[in-house]
Amino acid sequence: MGSVLAASSPNPPPPATGGTAASGLTVPPGFGMPSVSPVISPTGAALGQQETENPLPNPGAFDECHRKCKEVFPMQMEGVRLVVNKGLSNHFQVNHNVMLSTMGDSTYRFGATYVGSKQTGPAELFPVMVGDMDNSGSLNAQIIHQITKRIRSKVAFQTQQNKFVNWQGDAEFRGEDFTATVTLGNPDVLVGSGIVVTHYLQSITPALALGGELVYHHRPGEEGTVMSFVGRYTGNNYIATLTLGSAGAHASYYHKANDQLQVGVELEASSRMQDTSVSFGYQLDMPKANLLFKGSIDSNWVVGATLEKKLLPLPLSLVLCTFLNHSKNKFQCGFGATIG
Amino acid sequence: MGSVLALSSGPGHQNWPFSTDPPPSRWNSHPAHWDSPPRWERRDGRLPNPGSFHSLHRSCKDVFPQQIEGVKMILNKTLSSFFKVSHMLHLSAVSPSYYRFHVEHLQSDDDSKDKDAPALIGEMDSSGSLNAHALLHVTERVRARTVFQTQQSQFVTWQFETEFRGNDFTAAVTVANPDVLRESVILVAHFLQSVSSGLVLGGELVYHRGRSEEGGILTLAGQYSRPNWVATLNAGKGGAHASYYHRANKQIQVGVEFEASTRTQETTTSFGYQMELPEANMVFRGMINSRCIIGGVLEKRLTPLPATLMMGAFVNHRGDKLQVGLGVTVG
Repeated sequence: MGSVLAASSPNPPPPATGGTAASGLTVPPGFGMPSVSPVISPTGAALGQQETENPLPNPGAFDECHRKCKEVFPMQMEGVRLVVNKGLSNHFQVNHNVMLSTMGDSTYRFGATYVGSKQTGPAELFPVMVGDMDNSGSLNAQIIHQITKRIRSKVAFQTQQNKFVNWQGDAEFRGEDFTATVTLGNPDVLVGSGIVVTHYLQSITPALALGGELVYHHRPGEEGTVMSFVGRYTGNNYIATLTLGSAGAHASYYHKANDQLQVGVELEASSRMQDTSVSFGYQLDMPKANLLFKGSIDSNWVVGATLEKKLLPLPLSLVLCTFLNHSKNKFQCGFGATIG
Repeated sequence: MGSVLALSSGPGHQNWPFSTDPPPSRWNSHPAHWDSPPRWERRDGRLPNPGSFHSLHRSCKDVFPQQIEGVKMILNKTLSSFFKVSHMLHLSAVSPSYYRFHVEHLQSDDDSKDKDAPALIGEMDSSGSLNAHALLHVTERVRARTVFQTQQSQFVTWQFETEFRGNDFTAAVTVANPDVLRESVILVAHFLQSVSSGLVLGGELVYHRGRSEEGGILTLAGQYSRPNWVATLNAGKGGAHASYYHRANKQIQVGVEFEASTRTQETTTSFGYQMELPEANMVFRGMINSRCIIGGVLEKRLTPLPATLMMGAFVNHRGDKLQVGLGVTVG
């Protein structure tokens, strides 16, 4: 049986969240792992439930559970943003980001992406090294590598000017029908502190995946654990996910109405901050007009929308974004241009 | 001799005199159709009428981008050949958001037909501020104008102006904010005379009187225009204002402005340019200032739809402030 990743799925895999350059690079977004084609299994009716004939599909990464719903929502942006992407070769890509902000500081950010030559799947090349540096010296760096066929590892560093804020390493093992991940975050041998996060996600049926997350943090003098459970049900054109834990609950529902319209509803409840919020978002995709429109409305009385348009003869893309917070009477608008 | 307003527009103003753009929001300027043609138009070898005093610096000021902030949606609707209505919604990050309703009752382009029909323009805000102009052609040469402005419920401006347009001169008298109870009034007299085919000279006399004080300020004005450029100077005790407008080619217009005020004791120099690309339906205006303000506004007509998109940003480097604006005008 071939690799489960190569199994054809009735829905086409979504584009990599960071955008795919024409040369075939997967450019991961800020800090997520490069998105892997989600295996949306065909409806169970046609397939038998026996594991020997049709093994259960790999459920994907743990972090990706709520990802499809979150991608429908518009991203808040303010001020003026200019992004220039330049592909220097098949393996190397560079980007310049100038953000002029109406509140707060304006920044210039330089980022570079290197993609290696070990190919594990269509448009997936490893190792991937992504880094970017701010004009104030803040660095974000990530290295992702596929160590063996089933094990993928990631190391990430983040600094705020010259102080390290985040340093973590993780290893992900993809079995036949399960995914297990161990992450070691901010380990500090001198102080004796660290965070260990383990994720486990198992396919129970071709549509249902269950899993859990265990977070153990240790500081000199205190230690504690937080545990949460995840369930994800994938239907024909919808995905429903629920995360329940001692820190709160997070439920999301993603629905693909047709080729143009996708809808997402999200509920977040936090026991620490003692509040809940419900958001409704939709994405309207018109490839013929080169237009992508995302809108959202929130239970905090925040209404927002983003319009993205590719100005086609030029390799230029224009983004307009406005957010209005009715309860605080605050309005934010911004626009940006992406070249390349 | 026809009315000067019937002359075709010169190379200076593409969208004069009956522009479909929304009227300028600067309330001390006359609506577009009130102005006379550019100064370099000549007919029959006689000296042209110099136009009104307020529009001396207009060609230079039109090159500069207008401050844009937040999101502005304007919907213009022409209900009939003389009645126009416009709705404007402004969502702003720094000032309160408002809705404004604007209505215009104007006679059609050909002035010589219905000269005694008044032009009425009114604008009302969601907070109750009113702005009203009434323009009346009393005779072919005499025009009267009335302006009322309120800030919510309080009257801020009420002024009455009469203008006489002679063959080669313009004289205007304005009575502003006459207040019998407080015994205050501002009287302004303007006079502009075409001295030669390109040169216009004139002056402005402002007399203001309050209960305890009164005073007068005299300002002299001069304007020299050639087919491609116009230079204007206003100088007086209250300060100086000099502007230079140059039309480089069909697409690029450039303006330089210098303002000095003795009251606030400061001077400002601004440089602005306007680039038009009619094939791309696009107009870009940029400016840079001696107050370290840099701004640019891009206007693009989205052609199949009757809509115009405006995007602009202004940066004040000294105060490190950025203002971003988006606007959509439909109709």
